[in-house]
Parts: sequence; structure tokens; C-alpha cells
Amino acid sequence: MGYAGSLSSFLERGIIFNMEKYFDASYIWSSLPALLPFLKVTFLVAGLSIVFGTFFGLILAVMKLGKNQLARKLANFYTTILRCTPSIVLLFLVYYGVPALADNFGLYLHDINTAVFVIITFTLQFAAIMSEVIRSAYESIEKGQFEAAVSVGLSPFQAYRRIIFPQALVVALPNFGNGMIALLQEGSLAYTIGLIDVVGKANLIIAANYNSHALEIFISLAIIYWILSLLIEKAFRILEKMFSKGKQTIKTM
Amino acid sequence: MSEGLNYKFLVDTFFIALSGVPITLFVTAVALLVALPLGFLLALTRINQIPILNRFSQVYVSFVRGTPIIIQIFIVYASVPLILTAFVEKYNWNIQIYEINPIWYAFIVFSFSTTAILIEVFRSALSTVNKGQLEAAQAVGLTNFQAYRRIVIPQAMVVALPNICTATVNLIKATSLGYAMSLQEITLKAKVAANVGYNYVEAYLDIFLVYIILCSLVEFGFKLYEKRLRKYKYVSA
Repeated sequence: MGYAGSLSSFLERGIIFNMEKYFDASYIWSSLPALLPFLKVTFLVAGLSIVFGTFFGLILAVMKLGKNQLARKLANFYTTILRCTPSIVLLFLVYYGVPALADNFGLYLHDINTAVFVIITFTLQFAAIMSEVIRSAYESIEKGQFEAAVSVGLSPFQAYRRIIFPQALVVALPNFGNGMIALLQEGSLAYTIGLIDVVGKANLIIAANYNSHALEIFISLAIIYWILSLLIEKAFRILEKMFSKGKQTIKTM
Repeated sequence: MSEGLNYKFLVDTFFIALSGVPITLFVTAVALLVALPLGFLLALTRINQIPILNRFSQVYVSFVRGTPIIIQIFIVYASVPLILTAFVEKYNWNIQIYEINPIWYAFIVFSFSTTAILIEVFRSALSTVNKGQLEAAQAVGLTNFQAYRRIVIPQAMVVALPNICTATVNLIKATSLGYAMSLQEITLKAKVAANVGYNYVEAYLDIFLVYIILCSLVEFGFKLYEKRLRKYKYVSA
């Protein structure tokens, strides 16, 4: 069962051990060098989920915007279901369900890398987020923009690439950033199926310390995630400024 | 697992998972009851730029939005007993710290995070209400409190409600992490049932179904309420 089952019991033990050894803030800083190298795993998993999720999300958005009733219903149904599912449940459903499903087709997937299951889970989830981001960005651009572009002689593809896409991108950017932050945070649950990312490593360190000073290590984890989220937010604000150069808005103030 | 799904287990566990719903809803309700008024008050400090509280809310919101809930749970679950131990030793209280019901930790964590989310929800909702509305209400002789209660809040609520709905659904989903505090909610109950015969696929399918039903009902409820509130919607000429 790995970490999921033992987590609460080891936290309880940790608290009992902690009673004698009080809070020592120096552990917050000293655990950082041990944790930071494992951000690589976190980034790799999150990065691949973002790439696959964006692609899959684009397909879903096209389905939602298209004229095919069935495709639209399917895509909306998918988004609703995914919105209602806690990440941890989806993660375990994929972790146990995908190999069981593969068994029926004669494939043996029980000992592939856990990172694969994590990437599948968060790709599914990010696709649902992205499909809404892309759809709302596309719908925010007036139809007249496309019509005007075509009427001055651009081909439909050119019109999309040069007129619609740059404008929709500016609308989508902040939501894309929020989606990324959400993905990064939900990704912290990957330790529950045994992935050794920052959170997994933190739990290993705590176990190796006989569960003492757990609080300090959790605080340093919180600091790492907080800084990462602030950096993503900042980066997207800069990107938004860069891409909204040609944007015309009504200024009220 | 290759023998296919165990349907009897699937059906039995569905009801076990369902029996975790009251705890999930209880935690959600308490978190919302704490977070709604507190979030609203702190949103007011942001809007009116009250010196220290404004800064505090800003950092608070940034922390909660910047850190995963599971890590907030870890921190609360590891720190609250430490703090309590210090108090118990100092004042000789008669509390068995390790026998505290985990639901209290759940109340703390989920109120803490939901308050931060609602601060942002109320802040953006209040800022959509035209300043002239408040001024006009004051001009006709309403007190500040009356003006907020009768004029500003109903209009802000129309804007805030969809976001409160999202926050509630996210809160219900987040309570699935209560297993880390051994909270007897949907996920933990079904998982424990699965531990006996390794029927994890069935158990997680059940959990999945229960959350979908629960969240759909909540969303439906909010939609109905939204319709009722729509009469307060400000229509610009």
C-alpha cells in the first residue's frame, strides 16, 4: 500500500516523538539542500502533464466549440466529471484502474514507473482545466474580428493565426497561469502512490529522522511551494504585459 | 484483479462510502460557517485598506493559494499538538492531546484555507458594486450597516455566488485529504473496506461516484439559489 496507509499513523508517532524534542527552526533551512534536487522530479511530472494536458485540452475545446452535438456533450460531460473528482481519488483510480484494465487486453502494466500514472492523472485533470480556458478565451474574441480578417483577404488559417490567436492568448494567459499553479499543488499528492518528488523526499527524511522534526520539514516544503507559486504568478504577469502590447481597451480611469 | 470487477463488493462499498457523506458535509458546513463571515470581514479590510489587517490578509491569501492543502494539513497536524502541549504543561489543563477527535484538526485546516479563498471571492465581488450605490444609500439616510446589508451585499452576492459554489465544491473535494488525519470520511471508509481483499479498483470507483453525485447536487443547489438572487442583479442601462 506504500505511503497512503501509513501516513496518518506515522504522523501520530511523529507527534509523540516531537514532544521531547521541541521545535527547532534551524531544521527548516538545513533540510532545503536535501529537498531541492527532488524538484526535478516535480517539474518533470508537472511539465509533461502540462504539455499533454494542453494538447488534450485543445481537442476538448474544439469539440466544445464545434457544431457536432454529440462531441460537444461528450466534452462537457468529461469536464463536469473531472471537476467533481478529487485529485487523490483520480490518482488512485488511475494507479489501480489502468493496470487492471490493461490486464483485460493482455498487457502487464503492474510494474511500470509510478511517474507514468501520475502524469496520466494530471494530464486528464489539466486537460479539463485547459479546455475551459481555451474555450472562454476563444469566445471572448468577437466574431467580427474573424470576419474582418477574412474580408481583407486573409485565409481562414491566417486569420486564426494572426488575428484570433494573439488576442485569445492574452485572455487565456492569467487562467493558464492559475491552472499551472493548481496543477503544481495537486501534484504534491503524487507521493501517495510512491513517487519520490519533493514531498516524497520530505517524508523519507522524516522517516529517517525517526519522525522527529516533521513540522520543520513540512514548513520548508510549504516555503518551496509558496515561492514557486509566486514565481509562476510573476512570470505570467510579465508575459501578459508582453503579449497585450497591441490590445485596445476602454480606459475608464 | 484480472478476474474483473467484484460487483458485490462494488455495491456494498458504495454504501460504506455513502456513510462517510455526513462527516464530509459536516466538515464542509463548519468550514463554510467560519469562513463566510471571516472572509467577508477580511475582504472589507482589503477594500477599505485598513493598515495592518490589509497587509495581513494579503499575505494570508498568498500563503494559502501558494501552498498545497496536503502540506497545510501536515503543518496543522504537526503543530497544533505541539502548541497544545506547551499550554497544557503551563496551565495544567486536563486534556489528553492524543485523544482529540481528528475532526477538530479538519475544522481548523479547512476553515483556514476556505477563509483565504473567500476573502478573494468577496473582494472581487464587492469591487464590482459601484461606489455610487453606497454613497446613494448613505445620502438617503441609511447607516453604513444598513447600506451594506440592504444595498451592497445583495448586489455583491449575485457576483460572488458562482465563485462561492466553486469554492464549496473544491472544499468538498479537499476533505478527501482528511484521510491524512484519519478523519472518517468517504475516502477513508471505502479504502479501509478495500484493505481486506485488495479491491482497490472497486473502492475507488465507488468513491469517485459518491463525489460526483455529491458535487452535482451541490452545484444544482447553487444554481437554484442563483436564480432566486438574480432579481438583485444590477443591469446597466
